[in-house]
Amino acid sequence: MLTAIWLLPLAGGLIVMLLPHRFAKWLGSLVGLGALGLAVYAAYAFDPAAHGYQFVERSPWIQQLGVDYFLGLDGISVWLVILNALISLIAILATPVDMRGAGRFVGLLLVMEAGMAGVFLAVNLLLFYVFWEAMLIPAYFLLWIWGEGPRPLYAALKFVLFTLSGSLLMLVGVIGEYVFTGGRTLNLPDLAAHPLDPAVQFGLFFLFAIAFAIKIPAFPMHGWLPDAYVSAPVPFLVAFAGVMGKTGAYAMLRILIPLFHHPVLWWDWNQVMPVLGVLGIIWGALMALAQRDVKRLVAYSSVSHMGFIVLGIFSLNAIGQQGAVLQMVNHGVIIPALFLLVAWIEVRTGTRDRAALFGLAPRMPVLAGVFLLVTLAALGLPGLNSFVGEFMTLLGAWGLSPGLAIAAAIGLVLAPIYMLRLFQGSMYGERSAPAGLHDLRGRELALLTPLLALMFGIGLYPYFLTRVMTSLGVPLPWS
Amino acid sequence: MVLIAAATYSVSYSADQAWSDLQQVSPIAAVVVALLVAMVLDLVLPRRAQGPVSAAITVIGLLASLVAALLLIDRGHTAYYQFAVADNFAVFFDVLFAVLGILAVAVSHAYLARRNFLQAEFYVLLLAATAGQMVIAQANSLVSIFLGLELLSIALYVMSGFARQDFRSQEAAVKYLLMGGFASAFVLYGMALVYGATGTTLIPAIAKSLGPGSSTNALLLLGILLMGVGFAFKVSAAPFQMWTPDVYEGAPMPVTAFMSVGTKAAAFAMIVRVFATGLPGLSGEWAALLAFVAAASMIVGNLAAIAQSSVKRLLAYSGIAQAGYVLVGVIAGGADGQASVLFYLAAYLVMNFGAFAIMVVLAGPDGDRDRIGDLDGLVYRNPVLGVLMTVFMLSLAGFPPSVGFMGKFFLFAAGVHHGFTWLVVLAVLMSVVSVYYYFRVVIHIWTPVEAAERRLRLPAAAGLAIVAAGVLSVALGIVPAALFGLAQAGAVPVAGLGGG
Repeated sequence: MLTAIWLLPLAGGLIVMLLPHRFAKWLGSLVGLGALGLAVYAAYAFDPAAHGYQFVERSPWIQQLGVDYFLGLDGISVWLVILNALISLIAILATPVDMRGAGRFVGLLLVMEAGMAGVFLAVNLLLFYVFWEAMLIPAYFLLWIWGEGPRPLYAALKFVLFTLSGSLLMLVGVIGEYVFTGGRTLNLPDLAAHPLDPAVQFGLFFLFAIAFAIKIPAFPMHGWLPDAYVSAPVPFLVAFAGVMGKTGAYAMLRILIPLFHHPVLWWDWNQVMPVLGVLGIIWGALMALAQRDVKRLVAYSSVSHMGFIVLGIFSLNAIGQQGAVLQMVNHGVIIPALFLLVAWIEVRTGTRDRAALFGLAPRMPVLAGVFLLVTLAALGLPGLNSFVGEFMTLLGAWGLSPGLAIAAAIGLVLAPIYMLRLFQGSMYGERSAPAGLHDLRGRELALLTPLLALMFGIGLYPYFLTRVMTSLGVPLPWS
Repeated sequence: MVLIAAATYSVSYSADQAWSDLQQVSPIAAVVVALLVAMVLDLVLPRRAQGPVSAAITVIGLLASLVAALLLIDRGHTAYYQFAVADNFAVFFDVLFAVLGILAVAVSHAYLARRNFLQAEFYVLLLAATAGQMVIAQANSLVSIFLGLELLSIALYVMSGFARQDFRSQEAAVKYLLMGGFASAFVLYGMALVYGATGTTLIPAIAKSLGPGSSTNALLLLGILLMGVGFAFKVSAAPFQMWTPDVYEGAPMPVTAFMSVGTKAAAFAMIVRVFATGLPGLSGEWAALLAFVAAASMIVGNLAAIAQSSVKRLLAYSGIAQAGYVLVGVIAGGADGQASVLFYLAAYLVMNFGAFAIMVVLAGPDGDRDRIGDLDGLVYRNPVLGVLMTVFMLSLAGFPPSVGFMGKFFLFAAGVHHGFTWLVVLAVLMSVVSVYYYFRVVIHIWTPVEAAERRLRLPAAAGLAIVAAGVLSVALGIVPAALFGLAQAGAVPVAGLGGG
């Protein structure tokens, strides 16, 4: 069944690319819906009481090297698989029918969904790497061919070269891990059972962490992000920002923590990473404060939020890591909603300049209401989803070092400033916006409804998600 | 050579022995028979029939050679007083070269007609070159290696100048002749010195004659150095790569396609056979030499490729860089290192030949169209070619799930395993650079153009070969175990002394 979760969107995507454009969106949505159905069914059949991987699929792949085709689902990946399927479906539904080459666009979105699903499902390091790299190819084409702004090609190449330099170093890490553990296996549970010498861990940690930090992106590896996010077409951006960044955070949790839990030579990486997380929180928030372009503002707020996830993961305790996973899902729900709203505002007013937007609420009351809700979720209002995640993350960070938790809380203070300033400035003001702006259409509202429902649902009952994350905290002896 | 050997070593050469020896070289024999038949028929047949008939004979000969090679798997031994051998290593390369020859015929057929070239002669030369490659693959003596090398090189000199009206082609042929002559001289000098130091030209016997004092034997070390230089010329590794871009650019496109893979694979067969089998005791000495060559190739090839505006030159520099990657596996040595080399050469066959084959199809009656701009909008002019060219570029760049990725993974794993981590890290960093120029090609393929309506016609045979290469480039990446198994079988200790 797990194979179907990645194979269905891949096969569907390739077929969609070959079909005439007018069928593309509907068939693509159907495939996306099917993938979502599979993912939800997996979660439904998931046994919350059991430990370790479930629905395991395992067969020899490269026998000579002991490399297996090995898929599995546990209490962490199950939510990310669902998130991936849901957000990809929303991305497909948000694709304008009259877009140039819509068929190829939707097809590539599905192929990218397949790659990301594979990353979340793989339990073999080489298999993981193959999916990790493979998802880069559709992302590159989506970012380049359908990119907006003056330099989509530049942004796409920058993104690819950034991520690739990281992931090729990770390839050296994969090989190093394979050689140092005796060259018998690359299955993650077996590798975790053979911890290496701290000095070797130190080196390998670096090779892997660079790749993951670039993908998230975590401070200070976020150089590619503003260019890529600004030039990305919005339906792609929904999946790109909503899910692809999570693959990096997920990989930290899945690979860095269990394989290299004592990476100490010249310094202890486990003490460096949370500091980088906090720096990301503050840096992202400060940069968001300085932006006029709304898309760029949201992009930097994303850097800030991802800092919380890194901090939670490297708090190295169960509550912080559960908070981080929760935050991955939360961010994956909120950021797509924000980008969609920004895009719809741009379509109506023709601008993304914060200074040029004013008084939209009287013209578009529904949009303003939804925007307010998403804004409040993004800045962590209790009762909505982000609050729980950030709170747990900070609790975990406090357990690690109270000073770090306090520093991270600066981000919580800055978030309302830039988010509420954006909301107030664009929605209200002394003057109303010129008449003739169409309010949120029913179709657009329907697209956001599942995301809004999740913001409330996770905010009110987060235990539904966290109760299955039994494998978190240190040490991590997953069977 | 065979006769001389027979006369020197033995007076009684029985018919049984002759039959047994012939069986061992049957892949070569099949190619040579096809060559002779094609040559004679060329004189007899009317001009109009020459092309198709010689193409058919060439393909039949190569298929027969392929079957003969497959029959030899696990059953080969030395022949002709150990001058030849048909171990699995040799068989692997025989198969590789037979497949390369068949693909080359499929791709060239329409091209030769379009450019109005002499067809029969082309196929005869192609068969001669293939025979030379196979002689190298099956050689078990320095003498037979040199014989194969010259057979291959001389055929290629003529093929490079095959466009007789084209000044660049003539220049390429002369350049290749001079440079290749130098390289051959180096190799021959080196072989002579090694013979002087060890008293034998048989590769397994050389390995046996090495002793503790060998690493200070100046004669031997100088011989290794000279052979290494000659081989580096042939694989187009830096700093001996100067001829490659010019020759690739000037030679007619199918010739470039053929020799970009064939020469490289044959040269690597020589390197592995001579260095890994013949001089294992001195691996420290030649590994240092080759490590420098590998590093230089990766740096020079990748950096120079960035600035190229001709696809031929770009792929030439990319080939220099790829030679550097393969050398990592050679230097690593051991069964896994050799297996990774064989795997990568097979991978290189499908992806690099595929890329060149598409350039062959693009050529017009006036000449090759190899400016990078000639690829503009390829995917809109012919979706199959456009997508497959993208696949070949991504595979050369080493993106999973393509065969290029798996090949690199095996090479680098062997490198790290045998302690050449620094070389692997360099290779990885240079791979990032390579992505930039491979993606430049991809960008041109997908750039919309005004004249997109002008659809490109794809000749059936060439189309089949290109699609096959494309399918293999992906399929062998997803399911690499089978090919890797063959490569491992080919890599088991090559020094068969028994039999013959």
